Amino acid sequence: MEHLNHLFVEAGTLMLAGMVFVFTFLSLMIVFINVVLKRLAIKFPDAVIQVKPARSNQKIRQNVDGISPKVVAAITSAVTQYRKQHNQNSSTHKTK
Amino acid sequence: MDSLNKLWLSTGLANFESGQVIMMIVGCLLLYLAIARKFEPLLLLPMGFGAILTNIPLAGFSEVGGLLHFIYYAGIDTGIFPLIIFMGVGAMTDFGALIANPKTLLLGAAAQFGIFATLFGAIALNAVPGIEFTLKDASAIAIIGGADGPTAIFLASKLAPELLGAIAVAAYSYMALVPIIQPPIMRALTTDKERKIEMAQLRHVTKIEKIVFPLGVLLMTIFFLPSATPLVGMFCLGNLMRECGVVDRLSSTAQNELINITTIFLGLGVGSKLSAEAFLNVETLGILGLGAVAFSIGTASGVLMAKLMNKLSSTPINPLIGAAGVSAVPMAARVANKVGLEANPHNFLLMHAMGPNVAGVLGSAVAAGILLALVG
Repeated sequence: MEHLNHLFVEAGTLMLAGMVFVFTFLSLMIVFINVVLKRLAIKFPDAVIQVKPARSNQKIRQNVDGISPKVVAAITSAVTQYRKQHNQNSSTHKTK
Repeated sequence: MDSLNKLWLSTGLANFESGQVIMMIVGCLLLYLAIARKFEPLLLLPMGFGAILTNIPLAGFSEVGGLLHFIYYAGIDTGIFPLIIFMGVGAMTDFGALIANPKTLLLGAAAQFGIFATLFGAIALNAVPGIEFTLKDASAIAIIGGADGPTAIFLASKLAPELLGAIAVAAYSYMALVPIIQPPIMRALTTDKERKIEMAQLRHVTKIEKIVFPLGVLLMTIFFLPSATPLVGMFCLGNLMRECGVVDRLSSTAQNELINITTIFLGLGVGSKLSAEAFLNVETLGILGLGAVAFSIGTASGVLMAKLMNKLSSTPINPLIGAAGVSAVPMAARVANKVGLEANPHNFLLMHAMGPNVAGVLGSAVAAGILLALVG
């Protein structure tokens, strides 16, 4: 029983030391990321990434406004065609 | 007649012992879990087959000079196989989510409580007659809570090689059971409102950050915990190969061919430890039970830590991502994402959960280093 108690004390110490160490170690890593990596990121920004958002922004704008030339052309021709047909139909109605 | 008798005595049927038959059935069970249920098939399949091979009477697979004996001593006893696998895992890991939201490292740390609490449980099991765990045994069993196969095998091979088979089976089985074990705990500890929390989009992480990160982690490990450098060092090497962008061939080899070849031998080597005398005892039952406890406590402490951080932090944190801190990459992150989607179909937590998920890998490697330094 005494042996078991001794083991419990050891396990408890190990748990305390272990958790404190894991937290300290990973907290230091947070400091490392926030201090060193963030500064590095500002000093050496990604060349490729600077271009990418611009492109994707354009794309998004195009999509939102629907100004992709092909789409515009397709819609324009469809609308014109529809109007023509509609006008013809309505004019025929009128004449009738 | 004499030669017929001799022939009979050289058959497997005449030499089978009941323990060997049971262990072959255990091996077949592992094969079933791998093939039919797809439980960590990459490892359970060779492991199950190794268990069958090692229990063949007269073949001597695991005796001195046998194939599995050599595989075990060359790769597992030396710690080489788990370390090579760790390098491959490093080459597959993207630390972007973690670097973008470094606070999640605390979740990876909290989930390691599962390891240290199980250490207590393993010692408490000494009260059960027939079970006798030393502090080394208890440490090797507790690492199951790290939910990291290679780390568990590495530590078990160093601290308690005789328990390696049971520990590896428990670790990989529970890793496969993450989608079943975790969700009830996650739901029990969070409110519906908390599960619906949407998190802010992660910032972009630059290439230089991803390159310097593994070097920084290694440097810190060298300074503060050299006993963890075998694991962390190989992991960082793999990650650096991935991120530096100049050794794509090596990175690709580490995360494909090399890790696959090593997995075959690691599985066979662990399977060779599944002999009747080492596996069929009360201690194995204790280990399997403790493994489940370790996973559950790890999940719970991760979720509770995330709840606390959500209360204290200025940016909202969904407590579900805390459960991913147990590592088990990427399964635990997927589970967090799935449970989050159940509460809010527009809330995708996967990338947010990858942060604590990879933090859990680092956390369990650090915990293993501590156990090695203090108990080994």
